[in-house]
Amino acid sequence: MDIGEKDKHELEKRNENNINYQAPGMSSDWQFGGANLTSPPMSLVPSDNPMAIGSSCASASGVDSFGSNLWEHPSNSQNLVFCDINVQNGASSLNAIGIGKGGPNSRRSSIDRPFDMGWNASSSMLKGGMFLPHATGILPQSLSQLPADSAFIERAARLSSFNGGNFSDMVNPFGIPESMDIYTRGVGLMQGPQDIFAISGMKSVSGMESQKRKLNATEASRDACLQVENRSTQESPHKNERGSEILVPSKEKAKQGTAGSGNESDKAEFSGGAGGQDEPSALDGTGGEPSAKGVSSKKRKRIVQDAEDDQAKGGQPPIEAAKDSAENQQKGDQNQTTMINKTTGKQGKKGSQASDPPKEEYIHVRARRGQATNSHSLAERVRREKISERMKLLQDLVPGCSKVTGKALMLDEIINYVQSLQRQVEFLSMKLATVDPGLDFNIEGLLPKDIIHLRAGPSSTLGFSPEFSVGYPSLHPTQPGLVQGALPVMGNNADVIRGTLSSHFTPMAGGFKEPTQVSNAWEDDLHNVVQMNYGANAPSDNQEVNGSLPSDHTKVEL
Amino acid sequence: MRPPSSLKQEFLKKWIMGLQRCSTVKKNMSILERKKAIKLSADVAMASARNGKTCWSRAIIANASKHGSDKHLVEKILGPESERLIAKKVSTGALCNNRIRSKKILKRSWGIRRTRKCAPQVALASFIAKWLVRKRTKVLKSLIPGGEFMNEVCLIEETLDYIISLRAQVDVMRTLASTSEIVNHN
Repeated sequence: MDIGEKDKHELEKRNENNINYQAPGMSSDWQFGGANLTSPPMSLVPSDNPMAIGSSCASASGVDSFGSNLWEHPSNSQNLVFCDINVQNGASSLNAIGIGKGGPNSRRSSIDRPFDMGWNASSSMLKGGMFLPHATGILPQSLSQLPADSAFIERAARLSSFNGGNFSDMVNPFGIPESMDIYTRGVGLMQGPQDIFAISGMKSVSGMESQKRKLNATEASRDACLQVENRSTQESPHKNERGSEILVPSKEKAKQGTAGSGNESDKAEFSGGAGGQDEPSALDGTGGEPSAKGVSSKKRKRIVQDAEDDQAKGGQPPIEAAKDSAENQQKGDQNQTTMINKTTGKQGKKGSQASDPPKEEYIHVRARRGQATNSHSLAERVRREKISERMKLLQDLVPGCSKVTGKALMLDEIINYVQSLQRQVEFLSMKLATVDPGLDFNIEGLLPKDIIHLRAGPSSTLGFSPEFSVGYPSLHPTQPGLVQGALPVMGNNADVIRGTLSSHFTPMAGGFKEPTQVSNAWEDDLHNVVQMNYGANAPSDNQEVNGSLPSDHTKVEL
Repeated sequence: MRPPSSLKQEFLKKWIMGLQRCSTVKKNMSILERKKAIKLSADVAMASARNGKTCWSRAIIANASKHGSDKHLVEKILGPESERLIAKKVSTGALCNNRIRSKKILKRSWGIRRTRKCAPQVALASFIAKWLVRKRTKVLKSLIPGGEFMNEVCLIEETLDYIISLRAQVDVMRTLASTSEIVNHN
């Protein structure tokens, strides 16, 4: 069979491509785990990226599923990298007052629980529905306060070298004074995608209800911890370091704080860190939860800075450090960063800083301290972050990819998956060709009336169409057995159709045994068959297909 | 994640349209021809479900329109928009080519400058990693229809969309095949 041979050659060639690789050194370019928190919101909304938003080109339901995927990944990534920050919040919230349970080991275990809550809460928030435009608008604003403090920047640079420089995208010229309003607004509006960023991750954690956190503690932590380990071995030691550092000041402050809910204890911490004694009372006094949370999240950022400062300077009082960091933030923004307008659209010109085109094709990028401020390298970094962000989305899509780290392996999995899907299509089309010589498949019986505007069917089929239209939404359920019951084809088997339909509609879960068994057996056979090389498969009729066929090592994940 | 059912519906509708047209055009096809027709109409239907928003869909449509016999099928499935979509692909393809080429030249010159600064071990490891990634990217480009013209970011986005569409296609074809099988048994 000529087609079979051609495919076989192609497959072999591709397999060769895939086979020989050593374990790739973790390329410094490929910053995995949580880097690209910035890029999704920044790059998704701008019009130059039809794909990202362009899940909207699919139907609305497509948007929901795809969109939720888009956002879930950022939450994953962010939770991974900045889990220490979440930890801090979680720890403080979970153990209301007396946090200090002892050594770092106990802290580590208490870290796990907050991971969960951060993780689960964000994912639950994500599933609750995302506001894409809000996210992008608020995220950059919320991050304008990223500290340019020297010590913090240093650590951020170090961390970002693993993470791929999220900060560059995060900082933008929105001005610090606006940050307060933005936080309150941001926390109120959008909690999911903010998880993408370290700071915003904290915000979202703070924004969650304390109940949710406590409920979801264990599971999320386990997931988050697993993912943390899986994602990047390089990151984890640093993260753990950071986690312990951050916990130290937070717990110290928490002891000072008042008893109460997690938020309040956090606020107490932060107010201690921020150095204003009026602030906690003010915070408590405001009462409005979003605003309080916004402020507390802002304070959390300062706590992070505190941690960095403590580490660097070795024991300055947190209050001073917080103040310093706040001040340095503002200075640093001016001193150490450059702004670059980068077009991500198709124009490719650089450097027009005058105006943003209404379509927002420019992405404002700032160089981090210690990084080359050349426009090329900045653009490179942004591009890299974009790529890794997309790869994360792909991770979610391709089964079995979540354990894989590194671009090369991920690409390998993706290639395998796409190849397997294409092979399945080939095989199925061959199967359909054998099943029905007429190529017409008698569709009138399959689809409801409104979908088919083709030839007028016979009266017997029309009689079924109301039933079919009722059952059609269930035509694409997860269980093919049900679908088979709903889709019996046609013409002369009127009674059979009626019978299967009625039996299908009454119990949703496995209405009728026999076709289900047939379908299950058939599914298994299909799996077996698909596993083999297409070239070796030359089914001329269904019997051969259903028989046991030689399987080779081509992996198929269905 | 599951492909949305509306996508599947649209795909099924267009696919059936294409199949009907195939069957009316030519009777008594051999099994291979049938298989080709089925696959072709499935691919074109899948591509048209995207309405020309993605690169791979345009590539499929463009490739299908090259052969005269298939062109009518494409037109039938796409309906009135077929001309616009086909023309769109041609124009963007050329643009993409030039842009990709110029970008590659720029990157190569930039990369040469950068590698000199790294330590030798690091350079070797990163070089190997990059080489692997590049190799696989090439393979992926060969898999995705129209993938040769895309840069990396676009490639990954296209892969995302393509995977979803393929999944929808596989699901629909599978259910159709199974139901046809069952009915034929009865």
